[in-house]
Amino acid sequence: MNERNERIHGVACTFRKVSDVFHAAEKVRDAGWKNWDVHTPFPIHGMDQAMGLPRSPVPRLTLLGGVTGFITGCLLTWYMNSYDYPLIVGGKPYWSVIFPFPVLYECTILFAAFGTFFGQFIFNRLPRHNHPLFELPNFARVSDDTFMIVLEARDPQFHPDESRNFLQSLGGQEITVIRD
Amino acid sequence: MSTSSPHALTAHWKKFLAVGVVALAVVWWFAFAGVQHHDNRQALSVLVGSLFWVAVLIGMLMLTMITRVFDAGWAPLIRRNWELLIAGLPVVILVGIVPLAFLPDFRHAVWYWTDGSHILPSGHEVGHDPILIAKSWFLNESFFLVRIALYVGVFGLLAALLRRWSFAQDTDRTAGHTHRLHAVSAVGIPLGAVTLTMLAFDCLMALSYHWFSTMYGVWFFALSIRLALAVTVILTYKLSNGGWLDGLLNQAHRHVLGCLMLAFTVFWAYISFSQYFLIYTANIPEETFWYNIREFDPVTGLKNEWWGVSMYLIFGFFFLPFLTLLFYRTKIVAGRLLAVAWVILVGGIVDLWFNAIPRQVYDKSAPEGFSVTPFLTSSLFLDLLAIVGFGGIVFALFLRGAAKNETIPVHDPRILESINYHE
Repeated sequence: MNERNERIHGVACTFRKVSDVFHAAEKVRDAGWKNWDVHTPFPIHGMDQAMGLPRSPVPRLTLLGGVTGFITGCLLTWYMNSYDYPLIVGGKPYWSVIFPFPVLYECTILFAAFGTFFGQFIFNRLPRHNHPLFELPNFARVSDDTFMIVLEARDPQFHPDESRNFLQSLGGQEITVIRD
Repeated sequence: MSTSSPHALTAHWKKFLAVGVVALAVVWWFAFAGVQHHDNRQALSVLVGSLFWVAVLIGMLMLTMITRVFDAGWAPLIRRNWELLIAGLPVVILVGIVPLAFLPDFRHAVWYWTDGSHILPSGHEVGHDPILIAKSWFLNESFFLVRIALYVGVFGLLAALLRRWSFAQDTDRTAGHTHRLHAVSAVGIPLGAVTLTMLAFDCLMALSYHWFSTMYGVWFFALSIRLALAVTVILTYKLSNGGWLDGLLNQAHRHVLGCLMLAFTVFWAYISFSQYFLIYTANIPEETFWYNIREFDPVTGLKNEWWGVSMYLIFGFFFLPFLTLLFYRTKIVAGRLLAVAWVILVGGIVDLWFNAIPRQVYDKSAPEGFSVTPFLTSSLFLDLLAIVGFGGIVFALFLRGAAKNETIPVHDPRILESINYHE
């Protein structure tokens, strides 16, 4: 129809059984694919290893957020109680690590939660309004009774025909080329 | 009866019993000699040694019941070892705390509120202390002895029920036992919580009976679970290298134990700090003296040995396990998790020392009228010997139980889920 349709997002293929998609995922992993994904109606135990996925990088942002929050809490209480307007409350020092500790750990928790929440958005590339996969007529079935492997065109190994044959050799059933 | 032959490890139970009996004989002899010479420190070794294992086993009892009510899928494989170990809980109380409480000389030496002629730092006798008189509806000797007997009874009953029906399932293969244990645990958790709180009040908080903290029971619960998890990690590590968990314990089991260790490390710190923080903020002398004697010398005002112990608790018992357990790999690499478990085990002993040992001792020559029990004494070795002694008894019973029963709950409805447990 128009030029836009000629860009290929990737190749999708469906599977009917958990064991089929699981072993197919292992073979895709072993073939060295980087940009690909598996879509299933429910979590499959061991799929992370079968896909060769590394641990999520989100906890690093959580830690970073926590440390930032602790330092922010220290600066906040020190600046307000000891520097900008020194005030004696209950005979306690202007600033020590003890009396503002609830503030320090609440800030730690708050910023760690921010790190987790926004980190998850960053690594999941969210927000995103649409995805080429949603155009697939049978994509809705992966939330019901079908499993799907998608090989993306941005992977250096991708080749429209060879990837199609590769998926066929894995035992995939319906193979569809997804256009952007 | 076991359907499979007992594991070779169980043959070692006599060695553990021998070590336990010999160590306890030495500890009790020192405690007896100390009491004869009006020195209560050795009697406190019996208390510290028995409370260490009471904490470990109460933690395991609570974890057994908590995993039962939550139907934890990962638990059955590990829970069987808790069920085998908690047989020792009433025994440790019977061999350790009951003689201390029921023999008057020891009772007076350990809990000086029971000794009317004991001299307080104020120079007055305990018998004329208005604070004790006001508390005497609770702190009187007959009620105290009834309570100690109740601790043996309640924990003994809960341990017996949890063991009995779980072991019965190995032979008669009925799922009804799982439902029955569910009900026992639902009742047992609040009952156990009240009992362990009272035990912590009676055995530890009442050592300085002027002091009071409503968080004390929760602190003891947090410590118990931390110690129970540390012992579980060490034990399951041993059992997966030549024991009955060989080839069964996987990375996900370590991960779940590591996550629980992290959670209860934070919980322990939260409770311990809150207790300190509220007393620090309110700044009332009735409460602050308990922390003051753990920080500085009453005469010179300089930091004393207990200040170093406090710092160890903050950095060695909280920050070190907390910061290492934050990392995923610490929780799954067996050697690293084992190292953290040892750190928690050592820290737990230090925490018991911190809570049990320092007290105001009447001293006429001191300007403030009292001195503080020192930390660094040769009795620390007697404390460790007491821990070894009670531990010998606990593990002798554990191995005896393992010889007579299945070491894997083969007919638990969730045993396959537990063995194949996945992150």
